Amino acid sequence: MGSISDRAGSGEWRLFKNLTHSVSTAEGLAWDDALPQSVARHGSPPILHLYTFIPSVIVGKYQDIEAALRLERCRARGIEYNRRSTGGGTVIMGPEIVALGLGINVDYPGLKKGVGGVFDSLSRVLIRALDHVGVRAHFQPKNDLEVKGRKIAGLSAASEADTCLLFHTSLLVDFDIALMTDIMNTPVIKLEDKGYNCFSQRMTTVRHELGRNLSVAEMMEAIQTAFEEEFGIAFREDSPDDWEQNTIHRFIEERFTQDQWIFSHRHPRTRMGVGQLKTRGGLLEIYLSLSGGSIEHILITGDFFSTSENIHRIENALKWTSALRESIESNIASVWHDNMIYGIDVSTLTDAILLAKQNQVRL
Amino acid sequence: MAEIKGYNMPDELYYHEEHSWARVEGTKVTIGMTDMFQKEAGDIVFVDLPEEEDDVSQGETCGKIQSRKWIGKLVAPVSGEITEINEELEEDTSLINSDPYGDGWILVIKAEDEDDLQAELKNLIHGDAVSAFVDREIARTEEERAKAEQG
Repeated sequence: MGSISDRAGSGEWRLFKNLTHSVSTAEGLAWDDALPQSVARHGSPPILHLYTFIPSVIVGKYQDIEAALRLERCRARGIEYNRRSTGGGTVIMGPEIVALGLGINVDYPGLKKGVGGVFDSLSRVLIRALDHVGVRAHFQPKNDLEVKGRKIAGLSAASEADTCLLFHTSLLVDFDIALMTDIMNTPVIKLEDKGYNCFSQRMTTVRHELGRNLSVAEMMEAIQTAFEEEFGIAFREDSPDDWEQNTIHRFIEERFTQDQWIFSHRHPRTRMGVGQLKTRGGLLEIYLSLSGGSIEHILITGDFFSTSENIHRIENALKWTSALRESIESNIASVWHDNMIYGIDVSTLTDAILLAKQNQVRL
Repeated sequence: MAEIKGYNMPDELYYHEEHSWARVEGTKVTIGMTDMFQKEAGDIVFVDLPEEEDDVSQGETCGKIQSRKWIGKLVAPVSGEITEINEELEEDTSLINSDPYGDGWILVIKAEDEDDLQAELKNLIHGDAVSAFVDREIARTEEERAKAEQG
């Protein structure tokens, strides 16, 4: 058996797979952060890390954790919270959610280039993996993997060491929506008072789609196979060597157990706003979370006529985009078709969103 | 203004392979991200900037840029001390998208020595080489796309 660097260009990737126990947020995230470091600086081939977390919630690198979460509820329920190194929003993790970390060089053959390209390439792997277990998913450009308009997996990434990147995915085998509603600090809580749970309409799980009790191990196996097929590689099950163990310990000590990291103030200001607009197509009620000048989260509700799938498609087209009128209009237009919301046009919907923006308050 | 394959790449600027640009006025160097970067990245949602008075070296990551759910790197094209930060970006990161070479500038680096700066500029892409750089970047994307589609 050769050294790690001997195998870097051999078509053999390393697989760190943990089926024995769910890990703490500090441990799981530190392992993931070590992956691109090892590829860039230690001569490792790409490394896939498949595992599960203990019940926890993880915010994106540049999210305001105090605005995103009800921390007192997390503490009361024993839910760990932490901050990852990749972008995007809040994800709930737990023993029934597959966590995936991938460290890979951006120049790896077969990996498409650029921000869109990388997400596209890796979403193809996950779509193939879901297909292997019998779930037909598709990539919702810019954001997530969906099944019939409902989110089943979230993707995020960061350029890390040299030309290597860290790619993260959370794939929902099963999910506790009530927990999410309880610990997240979103306008959804207000909707909850009206007996409406927006998450249950916008998310799904592998078990729900299949109607059977697929195990986390089976899902991991399908992901592993999908990577092998997409990239024409083979995995070798492995564990971190001494250099990687040291890197992991350093990240645990210097990053994921430090308040300075978890409660970092390097993030845009978070604000929320609600807008109500009476239109000839009915009442539009918009719940908007803004992160600086961008839309982090949006819920479009009201008494208009449309389908959940259409509404979620519009919401997704707006997530993580600029909250300026021209951007909102062009992003809605990019997914719009006639009568998507009966009696309402792009301009009117934009007006309602801008009204919510106008009513924004600091959290 | 030079438009190359649909990307605005002004002639007078120097470019780093990681898509940061440098506008040189004596030893004052204004830094931003290229039009090609912003078109590929999409809406910029956050810029994690360094502090004024920080020293940076050519090729060093001196900031992070989030677009969609991706966090990318801002690489310093030259060495020196950061003397100015574009504070407008704190409220409106879309300036990098709407005006990457104007209001969307990111920071200013003051080079310590003009001769050293001139030597570093030779490591950057400039003049006739810019067109080849854009071609290379496009080809790389297309080549990988083709490979992925074949696979």
